Amino acid sequence: MKASEQFLRQRQGRVHYLLFYLSMTAAIASGLAIYFSASTILELLKDATSGLLLPLLLALISTFLLQPAVSFVEREEISRSTAILVVYLLLTIAGSLLTSLFIPKWQQTWSSIQVDLPRYTAMLGAALKELQANLLDHFPLMANYDLAGRSRRSVEQFVAQLLVQSPRQALRLGSLILMVPLFTFFFLRDGRKIMRTFIALAPNRYFEMAHDLTALVTRQLSHFIRGRILEAAIVGLVVTIGLSFTDIRYAIFLGVFAGVTNLVPYIGPLIGMVPGLLIALVDLGMGGQFWWIVIVYFLIAQVIVDNFLLIPILISRVSNLHPIWVIIAIVMGGKLYGVLGMIIGVPVASILKIAIIEIRQYRRAFALPDPVAESERHP
Amino acid sequence: MNPLWSNIFRKTPAEESLGGFLSTVPVFAGLAGRDFGFLENLVHLRRYHPGETVFSAGDPGSGMYVVRSGRVQVFLHHADGREEELAQLGAGDFFGETTLTAPAVRSASVRVLEHTELIGLFRADLLEAAQKHPAITNRILFGLTRVVSERLQAAGQEISRLRLLLADQEARISTQPAES
Repeated sequence: MKASEQFLRQRQGRVHYLLFYLSMTAAIASGLAIYFSASTILELLKDATSGLLLPLLLALISTFLLQPAVSFVEREEISRSTAILVVYLLLTIAGSLLTSLFIPKWQQTWSSIQVDLPRYTAMLGAALKELQANLLDHFPLMANYDLAGRSRRSVEQFVAQLLVQSPRQALRLGSLILMVPLFTFFFLRDGRKIMRTFIALAPNRYFEMAHDLTALVTRQLSHFIRGRILEAAIVGLVVTIGLSFTDIRYAIFLGVFAGVTNLVPYIGPLIGMVPGLLIALVDLGMGGQFWWIVIVYFLIAQVIVDNFLLIPILISRVSNLHPIWVIIAIVMGGKLYGVLGMIIGVPVASILKIAIIEIRQYRRAFALPDPVAESERHP
Repeated sequence: MNPLWSNIFRKTPAEESLGGFLSTVPVFAGLAGRDFGFLENLVHLRRYHPGETVFSAGDPGSGMYVVRSGRVQVFLHHADGREEELAQLGAGDFFGETTLTAPAVRSASVRVLEHTELIGLFRADLLEAAQKHPAITNRILFGLTRVVSERLQAAGQEISRLRLLLADQEARISTQPAES
């Protein structure tokens, strides 16, 4: 009896030892693993979130765009979720109508673009060759610089890259198409709650200021984003209408391209008119229509509509960026997210500037006491 | 109710009574029962430790606070370092309501005396709510106007009472030398 009890106790003790040993081993092993993989975990985190920034950014932008529409539908008897769904439904109907209208045309255009593109690049090469011949007359030193060959090669490279990358881009686009509306829905529905949660993290002493500033910056931001997108849409529409008076092909595409590139100040409009002018030059020649197209791009779309009408009405002067910042933003955006990053980079830089300016104005308006001076006054 | 269900749907005491507490505050007296659910999502509940500053005179003011529990001290900080207490406020009292509708600097400082819960209602939230829920915002603003005008009336009566007192004193001072 006693012997068996002792045996039992011994066994229990051994089990305890075993458990202790096992748990210590596990603890040490996991500690070592965590210690050695800390950098790997950070890497992993970076990898996991790398695809998120773009959809989140786009969702934020579309949230700012759709906010007025949702608020318009939302009433005291219509809940916010219902309002968002109504807006989504209307957008889907409009989108499917547009695609059903344009898909036959789109296929035709796509095949004709595939035929036309080499023609345009060949034309560009020829024009450059002519230019080089002209230059050679004046600067004989440039004899061994193959301008036409170089530019043709780079254009061909670009087109090849476009063709290779498009399946991968399409995959990314697919995930964007899925994620952006989802994020947008939740931002629209719970945006206020999300902001409240973030502001609630502020310490008591700065809570009121943080709350006030968020409201100010949000208002400015929504004005800015709405203004920019509306501006781009109107410029694109003006270009499309202006071009459709001529015999030029792809007027709609050129208009869309001009509108999208118009999001980037200074450089965007110039890039936006390159394909239009090129196609006009190749297809229509240096006739009256070509000059009309130049006038549409430069004078009507840029100078009259954009600079005299839209920018003063839609965009406040505070968001103007110095050209150096524009270039830096384009380069940084391009490095991070390619062509889309180039387009988004400048608006993001403007958004940062707006936030900084609002904070500075807020501080000045209420002449907040300098914290250093105050601590000297009340030691 | 089945104890299982009541357990699942039980709310924390803070959530349970925030709307109930707000209904006892005079500013929100005109609101209907279901408005308080909306108001709960409009206000911010903040917890303060003893000695913490809510705001100092000269800060940009953007809203009012209601004391839910605890005590706060309203005071003025004079240039010579002296502090003058203006009032001590307890549960149900509110302060800072003059900056709710128009931006202005705080005219006095407020400090927390004990563990305190404050409910903040801010201009930015009210402006946003005014666009989508005008009826509720109207009722809040009506309540605010009523409270402010009551206080203004009381202040006016106080001023006239003090003026009478002052005139009385002046009259006594001017008659005193003749007597002596």
